[in-house]
Amino acid sequence: MQVTETNADNLKREFTVVVPATDIDAKIDSRLVELSSQVKLPGFRPGKIPMTMLKQRYGKSVMGEVLEALVNETSQNIISERSLRPAMQPKIEVTSFDEGKDLEYTIAFEIIPDVEPMDFSTLKLEKISVEVPASEVDEALERIASNHKTTVALKRKRKAREGDIVTIDFKGTVGGEALPGMAGDDFKLELGSGQFIPGFEDQVVGANVDDDVTVNVTFPEGYGNEKLSGKDAVFEVKVKDIEETAAAEIDDALAEKLGEENLEKLKARVAEQIKGEYDRVAHSRLKRDLLDKLAESHDFDVPESMVESEFEGIWRQIESDKDQGKLDEEDAAKSDDELKTEYQAIAVRRVRLGLLLSEVGTKNQIEVTQDELNSALLQEARNYPGQEQAVFEFYQKNPQAIANLRAPVFEDKVVNYIVDLAKVTEKSMSPDELRKAFEAEGVSTSDDKPAKKAAAKKAPAKKPAAKKAKADAEA
Amino acid sequence: MSRARARNTKPVTVSKERMYEIIRRPVITEKATLGSENNQVTFQVPLDATKPEIGLAVEGLFGVKVEAVNTLRVKGKTKRFKGRPGRRSDVKKAIISLADGDSIDVTTGI
Repeated sequence: MQVTETNADNLKREFTVVVPATDIDAKIDSRLVELSSQVKLPGFRPGKIPMTMLKQRYGKSVMGEVLEALVNETSQNIISERSLRPAMQPKIEVTSFDEGKDLEYTIAFEIIPDVEPMDFSTLKLEKISVEVPASEVDEALERIASNHKTTVALKRKRKAREGDIVTIDFKGTVGGEALPGMAGDDFKLELGSGQFIPGFEDQVVGANVDDDVTVNVTFPEGYGNEKLSGKDAVFEVKVKDIEETAAAEIDDALAEKLGEENLEKLKARVAEQIKGEYDRVAHSRLKRDLLDKLAESHDFDVPESMVESEFEGIWRQIESDKDQGKLDEEDAAKSDDELKTEYQAIAVRRVRLGLLLSEVGTKNQIEVTQDELNSALLQEARNYPGQEQAVFEFYQKNPQAIANLRAPVFEDKVVNYIVDLAKVTEKSMSPDELRKAFEAEGVSTSDDKPAKKAAAKKAPAKKPAAKKAKADAEA
Repeated sequence: MSRARARNTKPVTVSKERMYEIIRRPVITEKATLGSENNQVTFQVPLDATKPEIGLAVEGLFGVKVEAVNTLRVKGKTKRFKGRPGRRSDVKKAIISLADGDSIDVTTGI
């Protein structure tokens, strides 16, 4: 094997490799010998087929196999001998080959640059801690209370209003035909909740107790049940009872309902939750701050191919956003070229930060343990209530997806590691101040986070959820 | 006057069409390939082909010099088809010894 380096520009490396024909032939022959014991040919006992025969029959396919293995092996050799770290899959191009001739190919790739992390102890960061004001806790409690409505019997007889809960018997027909699922007894329906198909609840409004109401509705197009989609239906509804709803009192009883001992405990829990949210915001701000600083203080060359693929990812996102008209106003005003240069810069930044973080991670032996991965998986599964099983299965079947899950966990760990080293000053802020500070920093913040490709995997899991919701509404 | 029976010395001639008829297919088996060590090739030929004919046909089609031709008949097996006994047709094989230096690549065809 003969290797010549033809290009060593910055991070680019290119080699021309020549493998002599004799080497290839020897490899092919040994492979054929291996094969001969397995091949069956009429007129010959297994393993007794003459070599010339084998060569004639299987020479071509064996050659392809051998060449592939040879190219793989030699290119691996080149990389490991010179202890290079390619950034992406190397590009291999066979320039010339024929039977009985030397194999010649070029291999081109970019290497990962040597990253020299800065001294993190010189980093100055600001950590924001937020005190949760009592007023916010009270607000949150009120919200919870209004979600836990209690029903109260009507004090005075009156007609049903929006927001009331009516108890009804109903029986529906489509074109005179009763279909399963279109009847119910003693059903409690909250008017204005949108639980039934549009129009149904509106027509029950205004009914008195013991009234019979005929409701004419049209099932919407694309309704869960195909037989009903777009059809007109008539429901005979008998109103049996009308109840008012009232927000629950904020007291120990409500707390007990929510699984806490008393109101104090509930308050503490709510406060903790709110604080957790602010902490998360503060943490992401800290992280972004850190990444900004890191990006400023590091300036090494990044492999073009990585930037290219990162940029393509961003650009695809932009294009699809544009098609759906979801583009930020700021971006929509710009021309394609402007956008391209802007996002190119972001891509470079992302790649650089990604390389830096992974370098710091490997140098300091930061690893994602199985436990952490599991908890991340649990977190992910919790996002799809009712379909946890499907989520787990998805991840079991797709190791690639697991890698996607691993990336952010790894990133967080590295960031925490750096934050521990850096000089962190605490600063307390009120929630309003934090919010203002956030807004002042502008819209583009979300774009600046380093590579995370989470969007793609979410699509498949969502669909069944939507269907299920529809099926529920059918009752 | 010799007592031996007079031989039919009439020279055999083979037309081009007959040559193609005579050389039906090469026999490619372990045993047949063993013959290649002695510079012999094996063909399947019609039952009515004679040794001189076969020799001429091989010489004519492959452009080689034939030293000797040996032939043999392989009797067809008795087989039963739907319970009735039947017989596969017989086959004639010709083993042809070539002159030193000549060779035929049996796998490539004419």
